[in-house]
Amino acid sequence: MSSVNGTVPTIIIVAGLALAGYSLLMTALNRRMGFVLLVALGVLEILLLVLVGMVVAKLAEGGRPSSLPTLIGYLIAIPIVPVVAGFWGAMERSRWGPAVIAVAGLVAAVLMVRLHEIWPVIHV
Amino acid sequence: MSEPTTSPQSTTPPEVTTPPAATTPSAAPAGQPASTRTGPGRLLVGVYGLFALSASARAAVQIATKFHHAPVAYLLSAFAGVVYIIATVTLANGSPTARRIALVSCSVEFAGVLAIGTWSVLDPATFPDATVWSGYGSGYGFVPLVLPVFGLLWLRYWSRRTRAPG
Repeated sequence: MSSVNGTVPTIIIVAGLALAGYSLLMTALNRRMGFVLLVALGVLEILLLVLVGMVVAKLAEGGRPSSLPTLIGYLIAIPIVPVVAGFWGAMERSRWGPAVIAVAGLVAAVLMVRLHEIWPVIHV
Repeated sequence: MSEPTTSPQSTTPPEVTTPPAATTPSAAPAGQPASTRTGPGRLLVGVYGLFALSASARAAVQIATKFHHAPVAYLLSAFAGVVYIIATVTLANGSPTARRIALVSCSVEFAGVLAIGTWSVLDPATFPDATVWSGYGSGYGFVPLVLPVFGLLWLRYWSRRTRAPG
């Protein structure tokens, strides 16, 4: 059984942490949500969708994690995170909008580690 | 002080002598959040929503698939999920009634994370599987321990602001 290549999860962790750092900098500088943050969030969303596709392909090959319902829950929740954070943050007209995006970046990184714990064939 | 001495013939425009507190009480002062879900509340409600989703989804999967493995832990996870959902909804709503309910749920949450945290450290056998609150939320970066504190501080800010006008 081959494993999911670790490149995409690793890129997501780095991208998520970078997005969180940049967003927190915007909060510290008292900036509102801007175009750059929404584009960065879109890039993170695309990466997460690629990852979900890879994991679904792994399931289609016949691989099974120890808890399939948990994995399916994660596969549903993962792509929702940047979308909800984007809308919730864009509604805010203060420095706290970027702070919401920072949480989404951190959550994306943490979810990659959790995915590996749920199903170790998904490398980080 | 630049305010001129008042006299019947004074041409001073009335707005100069009008105190700033005479604005409509419902309007938020400049630079202050307009509701419990804006400003810092935007971040707070977002994180509460995240925990509402993760705690209740996790509890649902655990109770549905392997309830007898750790019934106490899973029921506590479900309880935590409900508390997070109530806190999320009431903090996002922000009406006086909602803030009162939020105060109760944040207090229950804080007591819960302290009690379950202590229980899980003293009696790990009851918790073969972790809950959001076991180990004082150590599995979630101790966010469950810090979150109710910020929730209660945010509610205190609102209760002070609405009681004292201006």
